[in-house]
Formats: sequence, structure tokens, C-alpha cells
Amino acid sequence: MVISNPAHSEKPTVSARSIHKSFGSNEVLKGIDIDLYPGEVLALVGGNGAGKSTLMKILMGIYQADSGRLFVDGVETKINKPSIALANGIYLVPQEPMLFPNMSVEENIIIGFNENKAELRNRLKDTIQTLGWELDLKRKALTLSIAEQQLVEILRGLMRKSKLLIFDEPTSSLTFNEVEALFTMINLLRQQGLSIIYITHRLNEVFQIADRVVIMSDGLITLNAPVEEVNHEILVRGLLPTNIEYQENKICSIDINRECKPIFEVNQLTGYGFSNISFKVYLGEILGIAGIVGAGRTELVTSIFGKDDIINGKVILDGEDITGLSTHEVMSKGLSYVPEDRFLNGMFRISSVAENTTASSVDSLGHIALNKKREKEITNYFIDTFRTRVTGCEQEMGSLSGGNQQKVVIGRSITTKPKLLILDEPTRGIDAAARADVYAIINKLRQDGMAILIISSDMEEIVELSDRVLTMYSGQIVAEFNREDVNHDSLMAAAFGIVGGKV
Amino acid sequence: MNVANNGKQSKLKRTLNKLLHARELTSIIFLVLMFAVVGIINSNFLSVSNLTLSLNSSVVYTIVAIGIALVIITGEIDVSVGATLGMAASISATMVRDGSPTWLAFSAAILVGALIGLINGIGVSILKVPSIIMTLGVNSIVRGLIYVYTDGKWVENLPFDFKTISQSKLPGTGITLIYFSVIVIAIIVHLFLNRTQRGKYFAAVGDNEGGATLLGIPVNATRLSAYVICGVFSAIGGVLYASRVGFVTPISGNGYEMKVIAACVLGGVSMAGGVGTVIGASIGSLIMASISRVLVFIGLSSDYDNTITGCLLIIIVVFDAVMQRRNAVTARHERLRARTGNVNLGGIK
Repeated sequence: MVISNPAHSEKPTVSARSIHKSFGSNEVLKGIDIDLYPGEVLALVGGNGAGKSTLMKILMGIYQADSGRLFVDGVETKINKPSIALANGIYLVPQEPMLFPNMSVEENIIIGFNENKAELRNRLKDTIQTLGWELDLKRKALTLSIAEQQLVEILRGLMRKSKLLIFDEPTSSLTFNEVEALFTMINLLRQQGLSIIYITHRLNEVFQIADRVVIMSDGLITLNAPVEEVNHEILVRGLLPTNIEYQENKICSIDINRECKPIFEVNQLTGYGFSNISFKVYLGEILGIAGIVGAGRTELVTSIFGKDDIINGKVILDGEDITGLSTHEVMSKGLSYVPEDRFLNGMFRISSVAENTTASSVDSLGHIALNKKREKEITNYFIDTFRTRVTGCEQEMGSLSGGNQQKVVIGRSITTKPKLLILDEPTRGIDAAARADVYAIINKLRQDGMAILIISSDMEEIVELSDRVLTMYSGQIVAEFNREDVNHDSLMAAAFGIVGGKV
Repeated sequence: MNVANNGKQSKLKRTLNKLLHARELTSIIFLVLMFAVVGIINSNFLSVSNLTLSLNSSVVYTIVAIGIALVIITGEIDVSVGATLGMAASISATMVRDGSPTWLAFSAAILVGALIGLINGIGVSILKVPSIIMTLGVNSIVRGLIYVYTDGKWVENLPFDFKTISQSKLPGTGITLIYFSVIVIAIIVHLFLNRTQRGKYFAAVGDNEGGATLLGIPVNATRLSAYVICGVFSAIGGVLYASRVGFVTPISGNGYEMKVIAACVLGGVSMAGGVGTVIGASIGSLIMASISRVLVFIGLSSDYDNTITGCLLIIIVVFDAVMQRRNAVTARHERLRARTGNVNLGGIK
């Protein structure tokens, strides 16, 4: 890949040199060098966990780098809190609006300024007029729609007279006209010599607005080139993790009978965060759902699992309509869900392994007094078959390693003998050995005839495990792949909304 | 977007609209209804002398409620205000009893109040101790110190001059000068919170701490100053208490935290932070001060006072929490919906 640095006559507004940042043992930024020039719009693209947000938070003083140096106008500057970043003319327009819900739009925009109020107000009116946006300044922020909130956030950034403006996915909920107006404004700011970072998941926006494009992947910059030198294909390839080995699908193929009735069927399902989703899962099949965070995958399955409302459509499990049932009812009908974040909603940290294993099937252990012997039997069975490394079934859950915790949680989810098992990011944050064990468990379950739905942002995992893959983007299914034609490139492209070379 | 027309409304209409939607309006309606209903049962309740008495008797609640409202608006809580009040009352009372001039006693009390507020503020905003734990601990410490300071004895025989401070009336009315001054303070604090850049930080910090940090608003300093102001106002309350009651016991001010928190909530200050005014808190204080009088007038024992206060507090807070949860769910749904299918999926089926 060609990594070319554009020849700039001017000095960079902000520069970063060998920025490193780790959270615990997880190295998120592995030495980032970046220069931001006046009058240049830099598009920053990257998958989830690539480190984009972390880098931006370091520029904004929300996080501090473990090592590395920052320069503003050529002078080394320690940015250790947002107020210092602001004083140096750096402003981040966050992805999720951070407004004060109980203040008016105007108060929200001009809070924190030390200038004369009347002047500020005039400047604000001028800015809004230039943009051609319609926004009542007297309304309370809590009555604004998300798009309107985002407009307010952008206005805050524009009012700041910054040197470096960072937009984190500003268009994710704007309408077409609003996006046009924003682009016009960005062009104006570029002419005024501002330096702009534009983070986006929409690759076509890169070509519309950017002068230069930087791709981050796995904590590194994998591409830094003028926008004229790249095309969609190069962008997608740059998004793939570095040094991936093209792995074989390790799951042994078994015959899946797609002639008979599917065990699980979702029909034109619409809810909050997804719309018009239809798919079928057959006995003994592993269906993967790929997509980037925010694509609506987790919202889809948690809604199916009864944790959020369904607006429209049907969910059918083994011929039975389970649409809109409560979580408890959905589980008793034969559906289990292993959540994405096991610390938050998957496990009981200070309980024993045995209690964790049987937590879902407590009813079957006796109605008045719990049958401790039975509890032990069940637990030992799963410890043996899943090769869980524990000192005994009384060991405290919180003291286990991540991989072993995940095995216990998966064990628990199948104690209810589900017909369909949904695994959300099953191997996130666990080591390679445990990962192989978890894959073996999944494989064994499917051979026993269980239908499995796997959600993952890890494309390799999806490729390795799935019989069939659906890709979600913006809350919709944009592509379906059979086992034969699944590969990293097409998956990654689809995850960014590009199917068949089209955006 | 359906926002354009609003801008063309006349200023008068907008002001009217604002008044109608103010959270304080509910409190005023509640207050008026309470007086009306009790007045029907016992017409003496609506006599001028009783009404002025109600106002005057709410003065201690009001000044402390203004202080604690600042803390609650920043999203925290202070349950040590009752103890601070008691400490300030004990200190000022012993000092004037032993011959110190009033201004010196007053200053000493305020200094102690500010110190207690500073300790609370450092604990909460710098050391990040949960505010309920920090101020509960400080409450206990200060209560203990009151016993040490007074030897567990009552402070009595306060000079006549000191007691008259709280009695002198505004010429031509039954309203005390003190109550009038406290209302002036309330208005000044109100203007500070709503008209100045720094004042607006208080609500901003309570409304969205993350957003405030991102805008470079000094979150810790704002919280810290809220606690110090709260301490000072509680101390002023303590001096007024000593002057009004005429003696101070080691348990003076016990339970005041509950009363003033209830007063704030009744006055439309949200326990979640970011919402509410000190004017509202003052109206709430008037309601709180009137409840025990209401009980007497309708022939109930004033033993019910605390029970009623507690019930009111919980009902309002629960109602607020339910509304807030509903709003949060709606906002989340809207956000998710905005993300969905917003992109032209050109030609994909």
C-alpha cells in the first residue's frame, strides 16, 4: 500500500507523535503519528475498536496518552483536560449529542463563552443564517429531535472559532438537506483555514468532503493518502485488520436440511434501531450476523429476547409466535441469549460457579429447597464437557479468567435446553486458547442439533463459524452470504454499507 | 422541522407561556389550594395575622433551602445542613450569651458553616465520595461536635437584643425584616443562577456532567462552591434559628435536612439535578412551614407533621423519577430510530 504524505507548505495546526494508549492489557493505540494542516479536511475511517475515538479523546484532553507528544502550532502542548484543548482551539463535536436537556438551545450553544452576550447572539444568528438551518433558539434542548440536537452540537463547534474541529460521525442522523448544509459550511471553514477531522462510516462522504483520508485499523494508521489516490476498494482493504491469516472455516460442515420448516423465523421485524428484518434459522445451523457497532444487531436480538418493544413484524420459534413476549416467557419457549457484555448483564460476580451455572434453571432444582446435589451434578457436567478451568464448583465467578467465565455463562444458557441460542460477541476480550475452546463448544452444540445465532464485529470469527452470514448496516440487512462465498473483503465492505461495489 | 413559527411569537405571549410552564407554578397552585381548603375548614387560617405568621415562620427553612437547592441543582445532596444549622446556632448563641457582639457571633457561625461546606465539597467533588455518604458522615461528626462544644447543655438566657433581630417588622406590615431580607437573597441568588455565566454552570453540571466537562466548565469547582454556599446559608439559618427560638439545644436543627429537601422538591427542584430555582425552593419552604400549622387548624395532632412531609417527598420524587425514566426510554428509542435506514441502499434488495 502506498503511504504518501502530501507536501504541505504550511505548518501543521496540530501534530501528534507516536501516541500510545492502553486500557489495562489492551493496547488501543500503537504509535500514532498524524499531522493536521490548516485548510484541510481529513477523513478518518476505521472499524470498531480501531482506536479512532480514543485518539480523538486524547486530542480533546479527555484521555491522556501513555506516551507520545502533541504539538499545537509547532509548540509541544500537554493537553490533560478539555479546557486546555478548548483554550488551544480544539473542539470535538461528539457523536452522541451532549446537550443540557433543561436549557434552551441558545443557552446550550453560548454556555462557556466569555464574550459579550449580545455579540454572541448576533454571531449565532449569522451562523444559522449562513447554514440556512431552521432552529428555534428558545426551545428547550430536551424537546429537540436527535437530528436537531446534532445541529446544536455542530453549531457549538462552529461558534468556538476553533483551529481544529473534530466531527465524530456528524451525519449519522441528519437528513439529506442538513448534510448538504453541513458540507457547505465545512467547505467555508476550510477556506477560512480551519483544520477539520471528519470521522465517518459512510465511505461515499469521504469522497464528497475530504482532502485526505486516513484509515485506522487495530490501533495503527494503515493508510494516509490524498483522496484522489484512493477508491472504495482501497478503503475497504485498508479497513481490514493487519496481518490477518485467511482462516478456514473450522466448523465441520454438516448437512442442514433447509427444505423442512425453520426452527426460528423472523419476519419483517421492525423495532428501535432496526427495521424490516427477515431471516430464518434451521436446525443445526449457525447463522452469523456481521456489522459494525451501532448497526442495530444487539438491538435486534435484545428486542427478540423481550427486552425492548417491537414495533412491527413477527418472531416465530418452532412454529410458535413469540413476538413481544417478556424475557421470562421467551426463555421458557426455548430461546437463550448470551449478552455482549457479561460483566454488565451476563453473570453474578460474587456467586459461585455452581450458582451461576444453574441460575437460569433454578425452577428445575426444586420448588422450596434447592437440590444442592443436582446443582453440583449439572455444574460438574458443564465443567467437564466445556473444559472449564476452575478449582471447584464453589469457586467465586469473579475470580475466573474471562474465557472461563464465558464458558460458564454459555453453559448456563443451555441448561434450559433452548431450541435457539443467541451469542452476542461470544469471544470478545478472551484469550486465544479459550477462544478455541468456545468455538469447540459452539461446534458441539450445533452437532447436537441446536440452532445458533452469532453476532460479532470480528469478521474472522464470523467467517470461521458461520454456515450463513447476514450483514447489517444502519439497522437493515444489506447482504446475505453463503458459507462458500463468505470472505473478509466482502463482509467488511457490506458492514460499511457497500454491496457489489455500490454505496 | 416544525420550529420556525415559534420565533414569530410576541414577547408577551412567550413570557406568559414561560410562566404557565414553570415548574414553580405547580407549587404555587399547591400552596393556594392548601390554604383554600384549610380556610374552608377553619376560616381563621386565612386571617392576615396567620398568613404573615406563616411567612415569618418559614424564614429558617427558606434560607437553608436556598443553600441546599444549589447543591441539588448540581446533582448532589447535602444531608448535613441540619447539623450545620445546629452548630452555627450553638456557636452564635454561646458567643452572644457570653457577651460577644452580634456581628462577631454571626461571622464566627458563617465561618464554621463555610468550613463544613468546604469539607463536604472536597469530599464529594475532589475525593469523589458519594455525596450521601460524605454528608451523612459529616452530619454525624458535626452533631457529635455540638455535644462536645456545648457539653450537652442548653444555651439559654440569650440577650434581648439578639432575640429582637428576628422580631423587628418591616414598617407598616407584619412581615419581619429578616424574612424580607431572605427573599431579597433568594432573588439575588436566582439572578446569579440564571443571568450570569458562572451561575449557569451550576445547572449545567447537574444537567449533563459529561457535556459540561467537554465544554471546559469547571465541574469540580462549581460543585465545591455549591457546598460552601450551602454551608454558609445553613449557618445563617442557624443564627436566625437561635434568634427566633431564643435558646439552643444540642438537637436543634435535627431533621431540618429532611424538611428543606422536601421544600426543594415541592418547589420543583429535581433531585436528578439541572432543574429548579431557588424561588421554587422558597415557595416549597413556605409550604413546609405551613404544614404543621395546617394540622393544628384542622384539628389534627402535629405529630403527623413528619409523616406527611415524608409522604409528600416520596410521592413527588417517585413521580419525577417515573417521568424521567419515560423520557429516557423515549430519547433512546428516538436515537435508535434515527440511526435506522437513513441511508439510501441504492439498488440492494
